[in-house]
Amino acid sequence: MRIVIAEDTVLLREGLAGLLEDAGHEVVARVGDAPSLVAAVQEHEPDLAVVDVRMPPTHGDEGMVAAAEIRERYPGTAVLVLSQHIETRHAVRLVAAGGGFGYLLKDRVLDVDDFLDAAARVAAGGTALDPEVVATLVAPPTREDSLAPLTPREREVLALMAEGRTNAGIARRLWLTEKTVETHVRAILGKLGLPVSDEDHRRVLAVLAFLRAAA
Amino acid sequence: MQTTRRALLPWFVAALVPLGCAAAVAAVAGVDGPAAAGPVPAWALLLIGAALTVPAATGLVILRARPGNRVGWIMLAGPVPVTVAWLLEALGVRLADAGGHDGAAALATTLGMSLWPFLYLWPTALAFVFPTGRPMSPRWRAVLAATVAAAAVVIAGMNVAGDVAEIGDLTLPNPLYVEAGGARDALAVVFWTAWSVLLAGLVAALTSVVVRYRRARGVERLQLKWFVWGAALIPLALALCGVSGLVVRERTVLDAMVVVTVLGGGAALSVAVGIAVTRHGLYEIDRLVNRTLVYTLVTALLAAGFGVVAMAVGVLAGRGSGWATAAATLSVAVAFRPLRARVQRLVDRRIARDRYEGLRRMAAFEDALRGGDAEPEDVQAALAEALADPGAELLLRLPESGGFVDVRGRPWEGPREGRTVTPVHLRGEEVGRLVHAERLRERPDTLRSVLAAAALPIELARLRAEVRVQLAQVEASRERLVRAGDEERRRLERDLHDGAQQRLVGLGVALRRIQRTLPREARVLVPALDQAVGEVGRAITDLRTIAAGLRPPRLDDGLAAALGDLARAAPVPVAVDVDVGDDGLAPPVEVAAYYAVCEALTNAAKHARASRVDVWAHRRDGTLLVRVRDDGVGGARPGAGSGLTGIADRVGAHGGRMRIDSGPGAGTLVEVEIPCAS
Repeated sequence: MRIVIAEDTVLLREGLAGLLEDAGHEVVARVGDAPSLVAAVQEHEPDLAVVDVRMPPTHGDEGMVAAAEIRERYPGTAVLVLSQHIETRHAVRLVAAGGGFGYLLKDRVLDVDDFLDAAARVAAGGTALDPEVVATLVAPPTREDSLAPLTPREREVLALMAEGRTNAGIARRLWLTEKTVETHVRAILGKLGLPVSDEDHRRVLAVLAFLRAAA
Repeated sequence: MQTTRRALLPWFVAALVPLGCAAAVAAVAGVDGPAAAGPVPAWALLLIGAALTVPAATGLVILRARPGNRVGWIMLAGPVPVTVAWLLEALGVRLADAGGHDGAAALATTLGMSLWPFLYLWPTALAFVFPTGRPMSPRWRAVLAATVAAAAVVIAGMNVAGDVAEIGDLTLPNPLYVEAGGARDALAVVFWTAWSVLLAGLVAALTSVVVRYRRARGVERLQLKWFVWGAALIPLALALCGVSGLVVRERTVLDAMVVVTVLGGGAALSVAVGIAVTRHGLYEIDRLVNRTLVYTLVTALLAAGFGVVAMAVGVLAGRGSGWATAAATLSVAVAFRPLRARVQRLVDRRIARDRYEGLRRMAAFEDALRGGDAEPEDVQAALAEALADPGAELLLRLPESGGFVDVRGRPWEGPREGRTVTPVHLRGEEVGRLVHAERLRERPDTLRSVLAAAALPIELARLRAEVRVQLAQVEASRERLVRAGDEERRRLERDLHDGAQQRLVGLGVALRRIQRTLPREARVLVPALDQAVGEVGRAITDLRTIAAGLRPPRLDDGLAAALGDLARAAPVPVAVDVDVGDDGLAPPVEVAAYYAVCEALTNAAKHARASRVDVWAHRRDGTLLVRVRDDGVGGARPGAGSGLTGIADRVGAHGGRMRIDSGPGAGTLVEVEIPCAS
């Protein structure tokens, strides 16, 4: 797939580009700030934009703002946001708003296969949400009740669903068969009263919506 | 030359008065015949000369200070005809005494006698034109003209009406006498009509002064006050003579007193006019009027009392008894002080009502202050009321800096247009300033008395203002310190995230690329590279933890998210209830609340051995209320070494406060309030 990278640290930018190219993707533009990113997306209409949250000149959340703008104006371009630290205010909302959006801590990149998998998932219209963010959603102190019916294993599966993983991905992760994962997923959706769907993305969004509403 | 002559003219005119009087004294010197019993003895002439010189000298002073001033000219020229009159009469006496010049003697005497209305005419003219030098309007000008014309007719009539001139015991025929025959009655009508007009003119002059006083403001009003005071001295002095007549029964002494008081009154009027024109701001006329009235009334009352007591005791003890005088004197002496105080109050209430009311208002304020019903800062309102100047503004002089602030402690920016500034002193030190309406300067006595009464509350208010200013400075500095600390932490956190952490991630990615592009034969390196990347990952996690300790990044998500994280990380179950609205809190407030909860949780976990903690944070009416309650052993005290003290400081820096309720065995409640009005 065709990818634009927005990252102001050159070492990291080149490293990311190398990783993605090694995996057979085409990096069509490498930029260092938010306006150049939007311009590059407009020019190349890539499948995916990998975006750093903090970029010059203010080092605030301009990456996140640009990401939201891209999702709105260029629906054909998915966005994977990389952040130095957890910030959920915009992230969960954007991820839950629909597919084609991901939010990961930057060092998840070091787990290369997982990262490439998340990038591919997001580009395909799926989601990717960092486990740390999911943890704030699944385990807030006041929210014991709403997830009470779930078994510990089911909670694990729920968290991985919330991260945006497919059944196959969850199965790989937990060393289970896909069939077992499917059973867990049906149990979870049933216990939480969520609509049963065969489509991975839809189920992820439903789970995220449930978690957000409960938070 | 022209200029010199014009400048010298007043001196010539002024010199005429003492010279004329001296000539008159010389003329009657040595006369001891029948003419010597004439109306002007030498000692009287001397007094007259002195009394007439005063207005002339005043006129001279005025003309030197204000060249061309009409009032000055009237003062200067007014006494001249009177001097001429006395001189002519003295000449008449001299000529009559010498004998052989009966016609000339009678002529001089008649002319001299006829000029006496000038004694009243020039003060009358002065009353019409004082202090501007012009009558108030053309109508008043006509009244003045009519008065002068009537005076001329009266003077002419006096010359021709009498058939003889009396000089002492001599009676000489008047050479100017006109025997009008049948026209005499008609002439008499003209004469008495002119007389009436002249008297009406005197009344009109008084009316003019009153009307002018009512209309006058500022300086003109002050000048008129001086004038009225001077003019009123004459009837007052006469009245005193009358009262004295009840006590002193010697005729010659009484006559002398009348002459002295009338002439002395005229001299006093002259001085008053001189002050009014040249130095009206220098002395306090209100005070002078007040004192004059008080002492006049006290003297009159004491004299009356003396008379009554003397008479009463005389009736009882027999007339001429020494007891009567002694008793009367004693009663007067005893009555003096209380009487003076009472009369002073009475006069204050009637004449200086504003001063009286103003002082009463200030006394009431002082009572309220002492009773705790008023604050020293309310002295501005009290002053505004006491001085009837609603816009009056009080400035407090700060003892340390010497700068001025208003009663709310705000720096002063200078007076508005049309306002006057009067300093307030206490023990010789300026404690403040009153910015007031300009018209208050017309009553310097009232202003000064009221300000003197307000000096102590002003001193209190300014000391309090100083304390407030210094406290505000300390508070501001504490807030700046905390803010600077927060800024520094934030900067460090950014440097860690954007610098070191980024580089580490970049390094890890580079290692991963090497790992993934290793040729088959170098695969032995894969575990080592995995280990290296793992180390890099742990370094990144460490850095993130350090950065989070510097400034909790979850605060970017709002207080609720950050407190949720804290609760999750706590070793005891923590229930969180946070509702701070949607529009967010100011970052310093969030940070302060976050650390307060952080410290309270640490305390609960470490020392209190709590099994459960409730965190509650709500925003109400511009205040963020945070409560952390645990079920531990209690007994927490914010003391030496306690982290809670640091929290109290931090909260205090934002104008908030912390309260700890921690009875032994009853758990601990930490309550924090921080103002957060947006």
